[in-house]
Amino acid sequence: MEHLPQDPRPWPVRRDTALQDTVLQTTLTHVTHRLNNARIAAYRHYPSGEAARIRAKARKREAIQDWGVLLDQAEEQITAHGGHVKRAATPEAVGAYVLEIARQHSVKRVIKSKSMVTEEVQLNAQLEAAGLDVRETDLGEYIIQLAHEKPSHILAPAAHKNRQQIQRLFVDTVADAGEEVSEDIQELTRFARNKLRQDFLSADMGITGGNFLVAETGTVVVITNEGNADMVTTMPRVLVSIIGIEKIVQDWDALEDIIQQPALSGVGQRLSSYTTIISGPRARESWEGPDEWHVVLLDNGRQNIHGGPYQDVLSCIRCGACLNVCPVFRQVGGHGYGSVYSGPIGTVLSPLLGGMDAFGELPSHLCTMCYACQEACPMDIPLPHEIISLRETAVSERRESATVRTQYRLWGQAWSTAAGYRRSVTAARLAQRLAIRRVGLAAGWLHTRTMPFVSSVTFLEDWAKKHRRGTS
Amino acid sequence: MAKAALFVTCLVDLFEPQTGHAAVEVLDRHGWQVEVPGNQTCCGQFAYNAGHLQEARAMAQHFVEVFESSDADALIGLSGSCTAMVIHEYPDLFRRAGQSRGESSEDSETWALRAQAVGERLVEFGEWLHHEESLPLPAVKPETVAVHHGCHMRRILGSTEETDDVLRSYGAQLAEYPDAEQCCGFGGTYSMTEPVVSTKLADAKRTALSQAKAAGASCLVSGDWGCLLHLSGRMQHEGDSWPVLHVAEWINQREKMSAKKGE
Repeated sequence: MEHLPQDPRPWPVRRDTALQDTVLQTTLTHVTHRLNNARIAAYRHYPSGEAARIRAKARKREAIQDWGVLLDQAEEQITAHGGHVKRAATPEAVGAYVLEIARQHSVKRVIKSKSMVTEEVQLNAQLEAAGLDVRETDLGEYIIQLAHEKPSHILAPAAHKNRQQIQRLFVDTVADAGEEVSEDIQELTRFARNKLRQDFLSADMGITGGNFLVAETGTVVVITNEGNADMVTTMPRVLVSIIGIEKIVQDWDALEDIIQQPALSGVGQRLSSYTTIISGPRARESWEGPDEWHVVLLDNGRQNIHGGPYQDVLSCIRCGACLNVCPVFRQVGGHGYGSVYSGPIGTVLSPLLGGMDAFGELPSHLCTMCYACQEACPMDIPLPHEIISLRETAVSERRESATVRTQYRLWGQAWSTAAGYRRSVTAARLAQRLAIRRVGLAAGWLHTRTMPFVSSVTFLEDWAKKHRRGTS
Repeated sequence: MAKAALFVTCLVDLFEPQTGHAAVEVLDRHGWQVEVPGNQTCCGQFAYNAGHLQEARAMAQHFVEVFESSDADALIGLSGSCTAMVIHEYPDLFRRAGQSRGESSEDSETWALRAQAVGERLVEFGEWLHHEESLPLPAVKPETVAVHHGCHMRRILGSTEETDDVLRSYGAQLAEYPDAEQCCGFGGTYSMTEPVVSTKLADAKRTALSQAKAAGASCLVSGDWGCLLHLSGRMQHEGDSWPVLHVAEWINQREKMSAKKGE
């Protein structure tokens, strides 16, 4: 199994499909603008929010730097509270471990709260292949699960669908024969809630992701806007929390600042609507909670990022703010990236986790280098510079066509001297006169835009002529 | 008399020389002596952003050599993006490129510091004008214009308000339009290597700008010819002849108009 699932369609197909999807174009514009405006308003109405963000960023960077010690501490604490910890290196290792627990407990039905890391390791596919019945309980994830699709936004997985499509989907998949399904958003939500209620009651295993793992007490914190994680963590007999190792946070003091950030930057709230705190399996005196709690700590390439030039991406809290401001994301949406991690963060993370062969085109083709992502990122991840670095890697690995590579080399050589620059002006005029403009890089411009002509007298030529005997 | 060395930029030099001439006239009117280092070429940003580090480094070295030999009081750049490249990217570019070409770290550091020294003297045209005492302008009719700030002017230099202030002080009424902060899709050679998305973004910008046009904006003004060539190239391709101007040209027009009125 690959480290990160990849859409087999090539980029031009993914791109054109997205650009021609009129529903997607409408919903995407709406979702990205709504979330981005909410983010801006939230910080504006929270004068001390910027100071909290700066503290959160510093603590998060420190936690990543020291994660070896902190992860050991977390493991000790979880074990002391009666939980079980599994360190998993690969997607297969996660699947195998969860299946083994499921087998031990004769689990048939699994309910999940929203988790990007289980998308990363394709957990649903792994569990379903072994005959388990898996149900996503976050509304957006529920929708894309029914549609057999991947999330199109880190935070809003079904951002590419409108309510008419969701109504039809419900009718086609989960509605009983003859059951009415309204197109009204509240009614659709109520419908999903009723259906999900049955799944909650009949599940034997709950699976959560984790937004934070507090080392101090070995606590997993899950934030949701729907409260579904509360049900997932309390109703089934067995609970498994699957967490990327970069979710580590030192202590509750650090968490206080950090926990605000995904809410502020993701949905524009001071705090997410629900905060689910998992500290261990059900204690003897307690009347709710699972009999067993397993925590899977996933590496899957993260250790390789640690200590290298891209370490800062490990500070990402998956708020999705960079997606909402990215001009390219606003055009092609999450499915354009061919990875479960989309937008600017996905452009960096996908090739780092999934390799340049699979995702090497993302840095080159899905970024205009506008820096909006860096401006929006609450963790100040230098995404544009990381994208430039990945482009450098693509260049050094000779992933461009030979024509393009040669063109950059010759262009760079020529313009590193005044004489070469002047020669290139002469050459450009000649090419212009002979109308040979449809080669290499320039060809890309011409299909959709009028090409400017090299001036008959450039500014520098004119200046030189007029100031031949002058001072400059 | 203060002396300015003009960093023309390759796009202005090759495609829009009238912008360079306009900038010279404005500088002259404000009492600055203008020098144009004749050996200047390009800052190398197109190669840098595309991941061609060594090509970018070679152009950056040439730039540093050309401009550090100028004794001008200020280096004035006719592009927000290219100015940002020199000021904010050059030092790190020399360090990283030096490392990957096997240069000694002292040599790389020397280049980084030379670049930093040049960068400290460089100022973008709109920002320069903002620091200048404004000329006593006889009242000329206000003009509604649309302004597009390049992303690097906005997010790396952070100097969009300065340019807006300058334009207003010359009688511009800035027409508002949605998503003004969104990239136009130019992105250097991105416009050529990913023309489909690039063009889609140009069209999104044109759609947004149509509101400014409807509000009476006579033209589109920007401090970056990269964005303007991309947008005007798309407009022309679609048969739209709405004028686009560099900030220096628009300011020069205004100063000329008021000079005439003042006579």
